[in-house]
Amino acid sequence: MKRFSQLALPYIVWAALMLILPMALIALYSFATGGNSIVSFTLTLEHYQKFFTDPDFLIVLGRSLWIALETTLICLLIGYPVAYFISKSSEKWQNILVLTITLPTWINMLVRTYAWIGLLSEGGLITTILGFFGISDAELLYTEGAVLLGMVYNFLPFMILQINTSLCKMDHSLLEASADLGARPVATFRRVTFPLSLPGVINGITLVFLPAVSSFFIPKLLGGGQYFLIGNLIENQFITVGEWNFGSAISMIMAAIMMLMMMLVRKVETRNRGGKEE
Amino acid sequence: MKQSKRIFGKVLLALMLVFFYLPILYMIVFSFNEGKSLTAFTGFSMRWYQHMLESRDMMQALYTTFSVALLATFISTVVGTISAIGLSKSRRIVRDVMVQVNNLPLMNPEIVTAIGFMLLFITFRIEKGYATMLLAHIAFCIPYVMLSVMPKIRSLDPNLADAAMDLGATPWQALTKVIVPQITPGIISGALIAFTMSIDDFIISYFVTGGGVKNLSIMVYTMSKRINPSINAISTLVVVIITLLLVIINVVPLIVSKSQKKTEIKNRKWIVPVSAVLIIALGVGFFSNFKAQESYLPFEGETLYLYNWGEYTGENILSDFEELTGATVIMENFESNEQMYIKVANGAAYDILVPSDYMIQRLIEEDLIQKLDHEKITCLDEISDGLKGLPYDPNNEYSVPYFCGMVGIVYDTTKVDPADLEREGYNIFLDQKYRGDIYLYDSERDSFMMALKALGYSMNTENQAEIDEAYEWLVKCVETMDPEIVTDEIIDNMAQARKALGLIYSGDATYIMSENEDMGFYLPESGTNQWSDGMVIPKNAKNPELAHAFINYAASYDGAYDNSSYVGYTSANEDVFNDLFGVGGDYEGINAYEYRTDNPNDEVFTYNEKTRKILSNLWSKVKIAASNAG
Repeated sequence: MKRFSQLALPYIVWAALMLILPMALIALYSFATGGNSIVSFTLTLEHYQKFFTDPDFLIVLGRSLWIALETTLICLLIGYPVAYFISKSSEKWQNILVLTITLPTWINMLVRTYAWIGLLSEGGLITTILGFFGISDAELLYTEGAVLLGMVYNFLPFMILQINTSLCKMDHSLLEASADLGARPVATFRRVTFPLSLPGVINGITLVFLPAVSSFFIPKLLGGGQYFLIGNLIENQFITVGEWNFGSAISMIMAAIMMLMMMLVRKVETRNRGGKEE
Repeated sequence: MKQSKRIFGKVLLALMLVFFYLPILYMIVFSFNEGKSLTAFTGFSMRWYQHMLESRDMMQALYTTFSVALLATFISTVVGTISAIGLSKSRRIVRDVMVQVNNLPLMNPEIVTAIGFMLLFITFRIEKGYATMLLAHIAFCIPYVMLSVMPKIRSLDPNLADAAMDLGATPWQALTKVIVPQITPGIISGALIAFTMSIDDFIISYFVTGGGVKNLSIMVYTMSKRINPSINAISTLVVVIITLLLVIINVVPLIVSKSQKKTEIKNRKWIVPVSAVLIIALGVGFFSNFKAQESYLPFEGETLYLYNWGEYTGENILSDFEELTGATVIMENFESNEQMYIKVANGAAYDILVPSDYMIQRLIEEDLIQKLDHEKITCLDEISDGLKGLPYDPNNEYSVPYFCGMVGIVYDTTKVDPADLEREGYNIFLDQKYRGDIYLYDSERDSFMMALKALGYSMNTENQAEIDEAYEWLVKCVETMDPEIVTDEIIDNMAQARKALGLIYSGDATYIMSENEDMGFYLPESGTNQWSDGMVIPKNAKNPELAHAFINYAASYDGAYDNSSYVGYTSANEDVFNDLFGVGGDYEGINAYEYRTDNPNDEVFTYNEKTRKILSNLWSKVKIAASNAG
């Protein structure tokens, strides 16, 4: 019924104002010369130049991408088996387990990260336990490991839930068919289960990688002031340095990298699906 | 083999649950801790809960978090569903474009979306606060709702609505009686995702809020510098609320369906009344706060917006002032003068700011603050003579001093040889003996002050060669000494003797020394930054009258005593200083509380925009160097 299409009109206006315009403003700021006013500006590439010609900034970018990649890999390696075993349990248990994994995500992320400070700090529970095993004086808080841990802790539930959803959706008769045709469990997993769960894996990767790469409170809370990721760099430009144009340029660079990566991941997914249909 | 696999699965799941719940459990346990420590449980107590319930800041944050989440969920679910239905009937090209547009907040790093919203509100001069936070939340929640509703609509028979209307239904009936019931599961899961996103959000809220409006995330972020077990208490409360919500949503329908054996759709209707009741309850709770009592006080019902440093007010000063005047004080905190400046320069409206000397100078130069009405300022007589008429404001036309102090070195007397300090001064921060055992303070001004003084230069130098040399000094420090760069975390960490040395504000050192007797404070002979913070009234203040009243109260004996005895910074009020530093005072014999005035190398910071930019960029690079060295 065509008349329903008018229902979308208000949202189109809203989206133009609240979704497209902000991005346009960032782009505008990133190409404008200094000053926080957009009334008068001249176009320039100096902010991009500043970023790409300084090895220090590039190292920060590299480290942010790297730690996000590490986080994603760890989440995948832990999350997949967990999701797999959840999908194998009885329906009642499935519901309970999914709920227990969802619950922490509803409790504020900062609060949960804050809780790790007490656990990791000197004389805290974990250092004390390590002390029993003869590892004393281990510095845990304000290290890269702590940041990694904080990221895995915060983002792992997304990975598990996504993979679990796609595993549960799977048609189980396919597995029986595979077994009937003589495939061993490993082969069935590799050639049937895993490819079918791939959409969940991809969604999971997106939901972990994206927040991990731009997070700035996890490094600040668990990594200390000397641990700098690209998110901290952007926050710094806007909150304390006041170089909004440079900050906008870094944001644009981040957005561009993310778009490219997501397109790449989607391409892998579609190619994989295409291969299946042949 | 199957058996072992199952055991492996169970062990893995068990470990997972421990991993997810251990921090939460730890937090709950320590919310009942008697002491302030996050590592040693000293006894059961409810004091942090009491503290939390008495803190209006925390209760407001709790209210903001839940009310924004519920409202944003409700609005975005309704709008998202309607728009998704509309889009499904639109032309293909419109639909495809909109799907891409919706992807913007989903596929962009959150910080980019956040900055987009911030620039939007600032460009159009929309005052940041509760409304902007709600708008932003609705904006990023709708795409999630549409994402989960769209597939359900696509799987519907497109002729369904037409069939209904052929049979005599109005379009509205076709929509509500035919289409919506079919896609209810999608709507519910969309609403749940929206709620999760909104209640957990930090980054977007952090950039779009203003006027003292905070949600829990922002509160934790700004309060986490100093150990504050009330955070554990409020977090425990959140865990309880969330668990209850989940139980209501999940268990109640189960019970109902068991007793009634109704269809699935029927059960889900529970969510609507439940959330409606919650919204109403929260709303009533909020407004009842404001209609507390009726009496005749000079500023009854008025509001003072105070923008102050974190942990810079006494325990009772705000509530005492409120009781005295009938006004409500809303305080927002900043971490650095620069952070404050950026907000104020971009139009955020406050009634009082508490910037430092050089920043007051800058605010005067840029015409951002107004002259005080000296008819109404009655407190100047009580201020110490040494703090009146300072170079940045020679006649106290704009500012009344609040706290003053210096920057020096806090050290553990059991680990640091005083002779090293005497001999090396600031260069002790390059002494390999203390490698890995030092804190630097995350402030461009103070770090460059240290480096410039260590090299024997003026901290106000504009000489590029000297600045470069100081930069090299700092880079050498972060690359060879493995320091931790901290802000207020240094206070609790040094009070617990975690490291041997740290660069610190004298007031924080006073607090540390009153907590831990082993700690000492040293001011190098090569000089330091003599700073003072003052109260000023911005040009765009909404209530200058009330602001004057607050300045008088905070600078006079009662207010100043409460501030200084609680925070530890040196009071600008002469009597308060004498009482606290004198015999029997809280800070008797603590040298960090004294204000050094007899060293010719000490300087007051002066503002220079060009140098500030240079230092600011160089300090970013020092931090990056520290990060890259680690």
